[in-house]
Amino acid sequence: MSKALTAALLLAAAAATPALAHHSFAMFDMSKQVSISGTVKDFQYTNPHSWVIVLATAPDGKQTEWGFESEGPSTLLRAGIKHSSISPGDKVTALAFPMRDGRPAGSLISVTKADGEVLTFRVSRPAPSPDAAK
Amino acid sequence: MHPWLRILVGLACAAVTAQPALAASAKPSAWRYDRTYAASWDEFQAMRKAAHGGTRLTWRTLPDWTGLWEHTGGFHFDPQQKGPKATAALTPAYQQMYDRKLADIAKGIQWDPLSACLPAGYPRWLLEPFLREFILRPEESWLLTEQNAEIRRIYTDNRGHVPADEAYPLWEGDSVGFWDGDTLVIHTNNLKAGQYQRDQPDFSDQATTVERMRKTGPDTIEDIVDVYDPVSLTRPWHVRQVYRRVKTPGLRINHWSCEENNNTVRTDNGSTAIVLPGEKGYRDPSNLGAASANAPGAN
Repeated sequence: MSKALTAALLLAAAAATPALAHHSFAMFDMSKQVSISGTVKDFQYTNPHSWVIVLATAPDGKQTEWGFESEGPSTLLRAGIKHSSISPGDKVTALAFPMRDGRPAGSLISVTKADGEVLTFRVSRPAPSPDAAK
Repeated sequence: MHPWLRILVGLACAAVTAQPALAASAKPSAWRYDRTYAASWDEFQAMRKAAHGGTRLTWRTLPDWTGLWEHTGGFHFDPQQKGPKATAALTPAYQQMYDRKLADIAKGIQWDPLSACLPAGYPRWLLEPFLREFILRPEESWLLTEQNAEIRRIYTDNRGHVPADEAYPLWEGDSVGFWDGDTLVIHTNNLKAGQYQRDQPDFSDQATTVERMRKTGPDTIEDIVDVYDPVSLTRPWHVRQVYRRVKTPGLRINHWSCEENNNTVRTDNGSTAIVLPGEKGYRDPSNLGAASANAPGAN
């Protein structure tokens, strides 16, 4: 996939309305994005939300555990993201909307793997049906 | 066989085949939403009268609503809502509550009982995302959402509602209905008070509804809903929900446990926060089944 196409897809994904089920998104700053590179500690493929836990090491050697929240399994499956798509030990870069309070977590937009594969986690709600206005 | 017995058997068979069972493609009565009713039960009975008592469907004549479905149109109870406020005609007390709620949301203060793993409950059930199945039987239908494994049971065997002295508020209410051709007509009462959605108004436990649900195309099911609530509404709230077929190959509904990885908590100011791994109070999803996790050979 070209970089331009990847960037366009990510922009579209980031702009998509989140599936609001289960909890408010007020805790996330949807006007900002963070990009964190590190090693996957865990991929919790669970309801009500899946989580990708990433260990990131700063230049000074300090390690921080980041938690990135996403949708549950059935929604991710529809986006082509399987339980096997990410494994502990994978080197990844996670793009997310950060927490407003500054803690190391966010609402996950995408994960870029070491081989360049981009997994788009930001899944939009279905648009109104063509006849929804009837 | 004795000739008279043969005649009796023949008559019995004729009676069975002569039941008013319409084909799956049968059209419902020409129901029009052209007048108002004092109560949802009155509207429901008017629909039943228009349907000449209802259609007796059989396994052979039930419509085909098989497959997976999802709600379309967003999180407003009325998908036609254009501005920031719901289209409901609220009583002054509920309008005040709603205004306060929207003001809190604008300040970033928002809490949803769903975050504590409580069910969405009906009628909010109508709007929830994720997968759905509609299981039709002649005497009872099950309307399922994946989220929290919430099931509405619609009895179409001519039973009435639960007697008043046995009734108590239920997450999905008590639903009875009948078929009008290929349209499932539902009356629901005995609801728990709740909210239509996070940024929508509240309703009281006096809310009742009438629905007309039918397949409008190979991939579309509509549900036209009238909500009556003398406590929160000054007139019924008339909305139309649309569900679209999900075509992802091989997709299934699996059990959706809200508790398996829920670290959402309510803050002191009534808003929402998440407990992160390593923080006090974090519930590690890998340890929730601790007893079996410690068993020899467990993964």
